[in-house]
Amino acid sequence: MNERTNNSIKCAMALTALYQVFDPELGINVVDMGLIYAINFNENDKQIYCEMTLSTPFCPMGDSITQGVKNALEQAFPDYSLSLELTFDPPWTQEHISEEGRIFLNN
Amino acid sequence: MVLIGNNLAIKTTSHRVVLPFYFYAALSFLVGTVLLFDAIPVFSGHFFHPKLLAVTHCMALGWGTMMIMGAAHQLVPVLIEGKLYSNPAAYLSFALGALGIPLLIYGFYTFSLGPAAQWGGIFIVAAIVVYLVNLAMSMAQSNKENVHAAFVFTATLWLLATTCLGLALLFNFTTLFMLKDSLSYLSLHAHMGIVGWFLLMIIGVGSKLIPMFLISQYNNAKLLWAIYILINLGLLSFVFLNLFTAEATLLLFPLIATGISVALFIYYCLVSYKHRIRKKVDEQMKLSLLSVLLLLIPLILLLLVIGSLLVYGTQHPTMILAYGFLVFFGWISSLILGMSFKTLPFIVWNKVYHKQVGMGTTPNPKDLFNGTLFRIMGFSYVPGILIFTAGILFRFPFMLQLGAVCLFISAVFYNWNILKILNHKAVKA
Repeated sequence: MNERTNNSIKCAMALTALYQVFDPELGINVVDMGLIYAINFNENDKQIYCEMTLSTPFCPMGDSITQGVKNALEQAFPDYSLSLELTFDPPWTQEHISEEGRIFLNN
Repeated sequence: MVLIGNNLAIKTTSHRVVLPFYFYAALSFLVGTVLLFDAIPVFSGHFFHPKLLAVTHCMALGWGTMMIMGAAHQLVPVLIEGKLYSNPAAYLSFALGALGIPLLIYGFYTFSLGPAAQWGGIFIVAAIVVYLVNLAMSMAQSNKENVHAAFVFTATLWLLATTCLGLALLFNFTTLFMLKDSLSYLSLHAHMGIVGWFLLMIIGVGSKLIPMFLISQYNNAKLLWAIYILINLGLLSFVFLNLFTAEATLLLFPLIATGISVALFIYYCLVSYKHRIRKKVDEQMKLSLLSVLLLLIPLILLLLVIGSLLVYGTQHPTMILAYGFLVFFGWISSLILGMSFKTLPFIVWNKVYHKQVGMGTTPNPKDLFNGTLFRIMGFSYVPGILIFTAGILFRFPFMLQLGAVCLFISAVFYNWNILKILNHKAVKA
């Protein structure tokens, strides 16, 4: 797991939900694509802070992908409010794709 | 709420801006194949004929330009990493183009180059001015300079120059005010459009999209700048030669410069393909990659045209007809036929499903079009091109008819699939 987090158990639950959000062009999920940078939890405020990126700024599918991440996390954690931040620092590169993602793309 | 680093909501171009261009272009392709069939009897003569002017402008403006302008409204934000400056300007550009193109084509078809055709030309130039301003303002906002944006902007400048010259030629037909008659400038007008607009635009966008779709690690901005300089140098020298000298030998320089740039772009695509992470390449992508190679055939024909000019001192009309046909129906059409199904399904999918992503299963964008219709389109298109080209070269009317029917079938299936995508309603997979 490469994503930064302050709660590894809840992060694993969040990632399980995010495995169901796919890049529609590639058919690969956003986690294996390496789009998720960090998922942190604030138990006092019941808040999830998710930092993610896109493969390119102003990606035409960006709206759908970010909406998918939002939907998946809100469904998995209905009691939490979500703060989703899109960053391009560092920018996404092919190096971010996980080993599983590479195997998927190779087939 | 989705935030980016500086707390600005990300915004891509609305599908409402792009979809009318796709629909209009698809219809133009269908009309273009009908006009092609109608023009068969004149394919044994000179290329300057009302019916050939009508079919050429239908394909160049209605099909190629409207499709590329539509796709560019969606893709330019990706290239410049900034949002489109104005959606209303994009609508205005579409409306002006959509109004002007049929007026111009009707004028050519009936060879009545009076007010209707002239107003058509004025509307087209106005559409391109609006598009250029929208593009320039978008780029000015983004402050990101890159080679792809340079290609796109320069290509649009050449498009404006091409249409302004075209408009001047149109007026020159009825009131001679230029130094020579309009026929003398046709080659200049055509190549400013083919090389300046289509080639620069396709290389600029293709050099970004091809590695992006293949997930290729290859990136070579220096090579792309070299291609950019070669094409512009070649084209500027062609403009100069065309206006100031009649020396045919010198025409080899722009041809060689363009030939080298195309060879370098093919090399760029091959290396991108070799370094791709995504091993499986879909049919749409294969058709688009094929179009890059298809560009070599008209270049070879052009070499033969210039060779004929040097050796025999005359132009070879059959070669010129085959060259023009292969540029518009071959190279540009094959690229659009492939790329339409690489872009449109995603735009419509985004419109229909973006709120449902991550909440359950949704169809894939490629499920929005019918694969069988796509294959029938491809299987009638490729023989159509080959048979029609052979028909031109061997002056065989039956081959021209057969080729035109194949291309018409291809256009029918293309339109069918496009309508299927545009009419897609939300379903559970």
